[in-house]
Amino acid sequence: MQPLANITPLKPAGAIEVRNVGQIFRTTTQDVVALEDVSFDVKPGRFVVLVGPSGCGKSTLLMMMAGLRQQTSGTITISGAPIPEPDPNRVGVVFQEASLFPWLTAEENVEFPLALRRVARNERRAKARDALKLVGLDGFGKRHPHELSGGMKQRVSIARGLVQDPPVLLMDEPFAALDEQTRMTMGDELLRIWAATGKTVVFVTHSLTEAVYLADEVIVMSPRPGRIVDHLQVSLPRPRTYEMLSGDAFGSLRDRIWRHIRKSA
Amino acid sequence: MRGLGVKAARIAIVVALFAIWEILSRTGLVNPRLLPSAFDTLATLGDLLQRASVRKDLAVTATEVVTAFALAVPVGALIGFLIAENRYFADVAKPLLFFAFSIPKSIFLPMFILVFGVGFAQKVGFGFFSTIFIVIMSTTTAVESVKVEHLTVARSYGATPMQTAFRVYLPSMLPVLLEALRISMIFNLTGVILAEMYASRDGIGHQIATWGENFQMKQLLAGVVMIAVIAIAFNELVRWVETRCSHWRT
Amino acid sequence: MTAATLRRLIVIGLIALWEILPRTGFIPELFLPSLSSTLAAGWNEGSEYGHALAVTLYEVAISMAFACGGGILLGAIVGSLPRPRILIMPMVSSLYAVPLVILYPVFTVWLGIGSESKIAFASIYGFLPTMLATAAGIQTIDPQLLLAARSMGATLSQRLVRVIIPAAIPTVLSGLRVGGALVIVGVVVSEMLISSAGIGYLISRYRTILDSPHVFAGVLLVLAMAIAFNAVIKWIERKAAIWQTGSRAGQRAADEITAGAIQPAT
Repeated sequence: MQPLANITPLKPAGAIEVRNVGQIFRTTTQDVVALEDVSFDVKPGRFVVLVGPSGCGKSTLLMMMAGLRQQTSGTITISGAPIPEPDPNRVGVVFQEASLFPWLTAEENVEFPLALRRVARNERRAKARDALKLVGLDGFGKRHPHELSGGMKQRVSIARGLVQDPPVLLMDEPFAALDEQTRMTMGDELLRIWAATGKTVVFVTHSLTEAVYLADEVIVMSPRPGRIVDHLQVSLPRPRTYEMLSGDAFGSLRDRIWRHIRKSA
Repeated sequence: MRGLGVKAARIAIVVALFAIWEILSRTGLVNPRLLPSAFDTLATLGDLLQRASVRKDLAVTATEVVTAFALAVPVGALIGFLIAENRYFADVAKPLLFFAFSIPKSIFLPMFILVFGVGFAQKVGFGFFSTIFIVIMSTTTAVESVKVEHLTVARSYGATPMQTAFRVYLPSMLPVLLEALRISMIFNLTGVILAEMYASRDGIGHQIATWGENFQMKQLLAGVVMIAVIAIAFNELVRWVETRCSHWRT
Repeated sequence: MTAATLRRLIVIGLIALWEILPRTGFIPELFLPSLSSTLAAGWNEGSEYGHALAVTLYEVAISMAFACGGGILLGAIVGSLPRPRILIMPMVSSLYAVPLVILYPVFTVWLGIGSESKIAFASIYGFLPTMLATAAGIQTIDPQLLLAARSMGATLSQRLVRVIIPAAIPTVLSGLRVGGALVIVGVVVSEMLISSAGIGYLISRYRTILDSPHVFAGVLLVLAMAIAFNAVIKWIERKAAIWQTGSRAGQRAADEITAGAIQPAT
């Protein structure tokens, strides 16, 4: 019999809870406070963007939510349970630059997390095909990363993050290395994939336009120590269109974020 | 602090190696006739450095090394520069040079004896031959390491060819050239010493080979330590200069 | 005329000159025996050269196993652990500056003039560059790849087998190419210096009796061996790493090794 207090309350899959999270980097000479008292909730299926100037700890926070790093204080739960180590069944991660393995084909890259768990070959292949189809890369599975464009590589990364069907997808500046046009297209593609799968997405960027364009909610952070300075709802209708970028609603949201960032810079 | 710790650890490793050497020999775990103790070897090294004949051998080797180097570097640098500056020439010559560079040079040593006999010219010739290809290759790399953007900037501000040479080419190439100098010297020294060991009447390489043939282990090991120290000292000196002037090269 | 055509013409020209210059007496046959007399010399003493080649190949094979096996193993260990790397790598590259050939007399005193001393010397000769290249190869692995693997829940051994080893292959192969070439050089040079068998021994013996065509035949045989080895490794490199163009860091490290940072000194 377990004492009642130890039973974790049932949370729907895909919910994220960040409570009083702090992170202190200890160097030989001094302690640097990277994050201080960060708290927020993400409801299942929401698209949340973390923005802030470089050094505000947004990527660090994302790494903690992926279980790749442990916070100094506070708690993080994904779907109701803490995440002491990476768990690809709960969280998929897409990294900044194409972190695809250059010696594997696109398909093999997507299969990689399944291969780690010794999933049977046929099942693996079928899931990888589906994931590649979802990101619009049907027929490119046999190519190696160096034969793909920057945008295509990031699509493969997204497919890899989704292949185990985790309820949460974490993205660390996934489009930062892409040119402006590709970036816009990839944003639309991501929204389409998000709408089709209903995942919870936490997306880190330093582009304000990208933040407002993609998000349901934008969390603005300040640097050293990283704190939340604003948490705003983006009530622009979906699907988002290119025309919205020049609208007043879009502009005022972007200005509001920019004022926070300018203040802290 | 940390740098000092690393240095201390490195010195400790060297000392430990000498200690193991000393212990192996002293305790008789290894026959001391085959492995004289470290102290004896170092003492012998001291004696050898007092001897006129050994000093003369060192002088001979040094002259050969310096002569071969002084010939190979300008000639190799000139060829390397011409290759790097002319596109067509580069396309023609580069694969041939790569090939020449990748084949072992030592097996041509007998040819140098057939042509030059046994003497100063043969050692210098072989030292030159061992070094020239690496000099050519390094110079080509050095010229190619000059960034086109920097040249364009210099030109757009109206730099004369002389100014471009001294203000863009030279500073960009310096770190690569120093590295080239270091590696060329390694090749050169190896070439000359091998030539001396193979067939010679004087020089420190010849002396080492003779000690080996006569089973004079103390002298032989002392000679090995001596050459190793000289080579490492030179290498570290150039590396020190390299770090001094490579701060702008990221 | 394209560069490739001119290059071919130059090569053909050089081979032709090799035949013509000695024949017409411009260069004495003692200095440079003509191509035909070199080949004839080699052909006539075919069985002698064959025996010598067998001895040399045997020594090369064993030395290669020692040099490459040890070099890759130690290089992988040193390259993946930061502390030993900072400590040892600079020492190893200092050691690389020492003309190792001076160690050969020590080995002949210890092990005699048979195959053992050659194997010991050639193994040490080939060991350093293989180790340096492997350590460098491990270091150039993109940390992002390891992070990605970890985010997918890869264990330590899975990361080793599925990420570190495949990512290090190109650099390790170019290390092998240099190490292997040095092993061949080491065996032949030590045979040339003091020995009683092998191609290097033949070269030296014919040199002392001033029999140039036979010397050249031996040199040609060693050259062929070195070139063949190089070609085999390059072929494996192409097979094993079609993706190489994609990994710039790995490619750069491989280039550096090929371009002289770690090259067969003589």
